Amino acid sequence: MNRLITLLTITMMTTTTMAQNGKAITVKKTFSRETSVSINIKADASIIWALLTNAADYPRWNSTVVAIDGKIALNEKINLKSTLDTSRTFKLAIKEFETNKRLVWGDAMGKRIFTLTQNANGEITFAMSEKIGGPMFPLFAKMIPSFDQSFEQFASDLKKESEAIMEAK
Amino acid sequence: MTVELFNQEFEGIVGHLKSYILRITASIADAEDIVHDTYLKALDKLHTFRGDASLKTWLFTIASNLAKDNLRAQKRWTENVTDITKEAALNNKQFFQEAMNIRMTSPYGQYEAKEHIAFCFTCISKSLPLEQQLCVFLKEVYEFKVSEITSILNTTEAMVKYYLHTGRSKMINIFDGRCALINKEGVCHQCSELNGIFNPKQNTQEELMKIDLVKEAEKGDKEHLFDLRMQVLREIDPFKSKASELQLHHLEHNRQVMEKYLEKSED
Repeated sequence: MNRLITLLTITMMTTTTMAQNGKAITVKKTFSRETSVSINIKADASIIWALLTNAADYPRWNSTVVAIDGKIALNEKINLKSTLDTSRTFKLAIKEFETNKRLVWGDAMGKRIFTLTQNANGEITFAMSEKIGGPMFPLFAKMIPSFDQSFEQFASDLKKESEAIMEAK
Repeated sequence: MTVELFNQEFEGIVGHLKSYILRITASIADAEDIVHDTYLKALDKLHTFRGDASLKTWLFTIASNLAKDNLRAQKRWTENVTDITKEAALNNKQFFQEAMNIRMTSPYGQYEAKEHIAFCFTCISKSLPLEQQLCVFLKEVYEFKVSEITSILNTTEAMVKYYLHTGRSKMINIFDGRCALINKEGVCHQCSELNGIFNPKQNTQEELMKIDLVKEAEKGDKEHLFDLRMQVLREIDPFKSKASELQLHHLEHNRQVMEKYLEKSED
């Protein structure tokens, strides 16, 4: 029993470590699918936040975003085109907006949550998760592409851009 | 600081101050008013100047605050400002008559492509969000340090770095796509077109190749080309150069055209 508890603990710790290194994790259930990623960034939270909330600037630094029209601010709406599916435009509402801490946007199908957490070593942990689902989810789940690579790229692009800005003289 | 010393120091700074305000407002009248108001405000508050920052930083802070109040209320220009204003100029006989008159009669009416490069940057920089525009000019043209810019704009060092980086990147992308001086596929040939009009006896290509920005275009280092473009701006006082009257006339034309264009686009 003790060996089992130890094994489970090591597995959970390993999963957590992998998540913070920018590797995406997807949890699939019958009526939902949730993908998450987190990465440590050596930059001021205000820089990361500025990048996340400047809609027009996304395509310049984020290779997963084709375009975002609109303003990323509380209760505003944006139109987002992603490289995952360039034929679709996602109409999203900004549901939560806590400066330098938490941003949430979404539609009826799901929501994406962005969080910035200050670590003791001065770095910021950026975490992004998206849960999609609903009663009809099993009918079209297979048609929705995996988000894993896109999430990892998003996190990697954000880290690269934020740290480049932070290091500038 | 005594008033006499202040006046002496102000004389040494006013040229940069006036050109900075001109470049961020694109308005001769605003530049003159704001510089005048800056002088009066600084004189009134001289007793509060402790010397923690340089006088230049302090004056630029006052001037930037005065300018920002106006600028925030105004719509930003568009990246294709040179296309819009060119079309308007081509349909405006009076503009060309006035320009040719300045060219023929004024000691400050010379046309040089370098001057137009500086002018063009002024116009296109107005398409940047305000904070990015201010940071780019303060750092790249007026050579303030990041720490000084945080003081001038009353923001954090992190945000100054963000505005600088995004402003530079955006301008680099715009010029890479538009400027035929550095990109053979560029859509804007105004520098060479106007040289052909105002200096018909010159070999335009030969004249352009005297400019480092053009000479080094083939190397393709976009960051370096941007730095060379900023070097051009640093070397030119838009109020005192040999082309100042011609370029200021052009700037006033562009300002009026963009005001009308932006008003129309709101309707």
